Formats: sequence, C-alpha cells, structure tokens
Amino acid sequence: MPFTLFVALFLLWPTFWVFRSALQPVEGSNKPAMLEAISGQYLSAILYSVRLSALTAGLGAVIGTLVAVSTVSLNQLKGLRNVLVGYSAVAANLGGIPLAFAFVASLGMQGLYTKLLSEIGINLSDLGFKISDFSGIVIVYLYFQIPLMTLVMLPAVDGLKATHKEAAASAGATPRQYWQRIGIPLLSPSLLGGFLLLFANAFSAYATAFALSAGSSNLVSVQIRFYLQGNTITGKSNLGYALAAWMIIVMVLAMTGYLGLRRRSESWRR
Amino acid sequence: MIRRNLWSKLILLVVAAFYVLPMIAMARFSFQRVPVIKLGWSTLGKNWTAESLMTAITSDRFLEAAWLSVRLGVLSVVLGLVILVPTTVYVHVAKRNARPYVEFLSMLPYVVPPIALVVGISGAMKVAGTWFLASPFSLVPFYVVISLPFTFRALDVSLGATDLKTLVEASRSLGANWTRTTRSVILPNLKVGIINASFLCFATVLGEYTIASLLLKFTLPAYLAESQGSNPQGSFSVGLLLLVVSSLLFGFMNRLSKRKGQVLTGLAL
Repeated sequence: MPFTLFVALFLLWPTFWVFRSALQPVEGSNKPAMLEAISGQYLSAILYSVRLSALTAGLGAVIGTLVAVSTVSLNQLKGLRNVLVGYSAVAANLGGIPLAFAFVASLGMQGLYTKLLSEIGINLSDLGFKISDFSGIVIVYLYFQIPLMTLVMLPAVDGLKATHKEAAASAGATPRQYWQRIGIPLLSPSLLGGFLLLFANAFSAYATAFALSAGSSNLVSVQIRFYLQGNTITGKSNLGYALAAWMIIVMVLAMTGYLGLRRRSESWRR
Repeated sequence: MIRRNLWSKLILLVVAAFYVLPMIAMARFSFQRVPVIKLGWSTLGKNWTAESLMTAITSDRFLEAAWLSVRLGVLSVVLGLVILVPTTVYVHVAKRNARPYVEFLSMLPYVVPPIALVVGISGAMKVAGTWFLASPFSLVPFYVVISLPFTFRALDVSLGATDLKTLVEASRSLGANWTRTTRSVILPNLKVGIINASFLCFATVLGEYTIASLLLKFTLPAYLAESQGSNPQGSFSVGLLLLVVSSLLFGFMNRLSKRKGQVLTGLAL
C-alpha cells in the first residue's frame, strides 16, 4: 500500500538511520555512541530531561485530575464544561515559541507579573527563579500539561458511577473514604496512563524550552542540536544520534505503558 | 456538598487564571508602548497601539515566512489527504482487518520526537539526497508524517459510526458506478473528517519549529525566533496572532465535531 511505503520512507528510514549511527563509535573511541551517551555529561542531559518530564507530568496529572473532578462535580453549571473542554483542547496543543513568549512577558525579567510581585515584596530573581531554568520550564510546560490531563481524565471521572458513591455513602463512608477506597482505585489506570502520556509529551518537547533558554538549556532535546551542529569540529555527531536513539527508547516505553493502561481503563468502563 | 463545590470552584478559578494571565501579559507587551518598569496606575491606559504588529506584518521577512508557512500548510494538507483518504476508505470498506495495522503505523510518529526525526532525516538524506533537503518543500512529507496521528484519527473517527461498507455495497447494487459512489456516498460521509484532518494538519504546520529550524527553513516560527531580538514587540504580537489563529482553527473544529456528536482533540487520547 502507498501508505506503508510513505511511512517507511519518511519515518522508519530516518529512525533506522538514527539507530544505525547511534551504534557506531564516536571518533577516538571503540564503544558504540549509545554506550558513550549514558555516561558523564551526556547522561546528565538525559536525566535532566527525565526529571523535568516526570515533575511536570506529576504536577500536571494531579492538577489536571482535580480540574476534571471539579468540572464533573459542577455539572449543573451549564456551559462550564463546554468552555473548559474547548479551551483545554486548544491549550493542550499550544506550545512552541508563542507559548514561550507569553511566559517571558509574564514571568521573565521584564515580565508583567514579575513586576507586580515585586511591588508586593516578592522578588522572583532573589528567590532564584528564572524563566529559562528548571523551575521556569516546569511552569511553562504545565500550561499544556494540565489541560491535556483534564481531557484524559474527564471520561474516566464521568465513568465513576453515582451508584457507587451512593452505596458508599449509605454504608457510612465519608467522602474521604469513598475517594480512598473506591474513587482513586477506579481512576488509577487512567491516572497512571495519563501520567505516562504527559511524561512523553514533555520529554519530546523542544521548541518551547529552546525559545525560553535561547538554546542553552541542558535538556536532551536541546543538547542534540548542539552535537548535530558541532559535528564537523568535534567529530562527535554520533553522540547526537545516540541521544536521539535513547529518546526514542524512552518514548516507546512511555507510550506502550500509556496505551496498555488506556486499554484497561476502557474495558473497565464498559 | 456545598463545601465541596466551593473547593471545585476555587480550583477552577485558579487554573482559569493560570490559563488567562500569560495571554494578558503577552497582549499588553505587544500592544502597549510602556516599559514594565514605568508601568503603574498612571500609565495603565497610555500608549496602546497596534503599530508594532502592523510594522511586523508588513515587513518583507514576515511576508516571506508567512507565505512559505501557508504554502507548506496547504501542500501538507493536500498530500496528507491524498495519502490518507484512500487508505482510510480502503480499511473501512474493503479490508477491515487491516485497520489495526494502519492505526499502529499512524501512531508511530508519537514515539519519534520531532528532534529525533530531524536528526535521522539529516543523516539519512546526507547520503541519499542533499538536493531533496535543499528545497523548503522537502518539509511537506515530514509534516504529513508528524500530523499522521491526528489526521488519521480524525478521518477514522468520522467514519466510526457509519457502516460505510454496507452503504457502498448498496450504492453499487443500485447501479451507481465508482465515481458516483465516491461522490455521493463516500465523500459526504467523510466530510467532517476531511475538514478536521485539514485543520489539524494545517495548525500543526503553522506551529512547527523543530524540524524547520534544524533544516534551516524560514517558516513563521523561525521568523518569531529571528525577530525576537531585533523587534521583540513585533515578534510577540505576531506570536499572539499565531496563537489566536490556531485557537480559532481548533475552536471551529471542535464546534464542527460536536455537531456530529464527537469531541475531538489534536492529540489522540
């Protein structure tokens, strides 16, 4: 089929090339570049990305779920849900350079809210906050992570049956006990799946972090650019391929987990 | 119960503020000629102007980038539809058991981040064809690839409820030829899917920066990055414009799908 041929040519072939080059050694070494990439400073770039992705995914998952639960519990407010779902669908797809700009205008050195906060005595730069640093990138990523999680969780929260809640209440359970024993366990596959999806989403992002940090970020996606462009001088271009290969491996693991968990939560909902 | 609703409202309020405030700051920066340092109650209403946006969008560099982005968007939409519409119809009408396979292939771009894809592209093409990468339109097939997960799903979902196979058989047995069947049976059923897929693909192309910048193509996001230093106000206002345009695309699409009873998002959830 032409479709298969197309995907093979423009996706699988470049991917194959990444791994082929990643398995070749860097100049002046006899280890495959992929092994080189998990030592020293290269490993630290990967770990930095993993930490950042895990943190934004964790925060995004918790806040996004709270938003979904709140929306469902306010179901009687007509229109609220439509607005929220509509905006979430938009925001989950935002990203890249314009989003970075919005946050630079808000919390950058000359940002509107940086100024507002300093008026009331909170000086962000004294607190060690910089929009291009770890904490800054976390906040910016949350802008698309939270709505994405809301969209993942809404159907799952809808699926919690009112009868379960009533049964728990009539058996004398407090709302807290209901969530602990019934609500959260029922939501857990969606929660974990959503976390993995968010993780993958943050891990593969590049443009936002690049624009925030003007290319100096320690994220693995931004580092790859560095190796690719420096290849003629350093002879280390295979390291760029190796980092890319590790990224793909991490993505495969996260997405496989997500799809598996999604299948489970969908079968529960039936 | 009252108390819990209070919490719910509070949470939604805080998150809504988080969604809206950055946009306000960006709009202020774009349209008010007052440095943040001088901002206070007395200067709040002063110097609002769309001049920097106007200067930016009439500049040659912007027009060059916008024209390229629009052409790339249109070509990617067309190429994507040419490849995907027959494939989707085929797996719905002729070969239902091939659907999981096509779905699997269409999900694959998810696991190859754009930055990894572009690394592979530049490596693979270095051997096979630098002439190919020299043209800015070499981006088109890769844009079709990265929007595959959304576009295939949009088409697939739009056919989900209809039994296209039976409809096509009915049309054929009533004596319609293939052209007629395509025109009056297949395409009307796919209409919403085609529109959604086009919007999703177009919006993806408008915002894509990673691949374009590493292959040194001057698209709109590349323009934003370039003019950020020389004309920050203009560049931010164009960024805001881009956000608004892509929000409108998504908003319109969601309306359209809701009328058909489906909520669709860019990401295949």
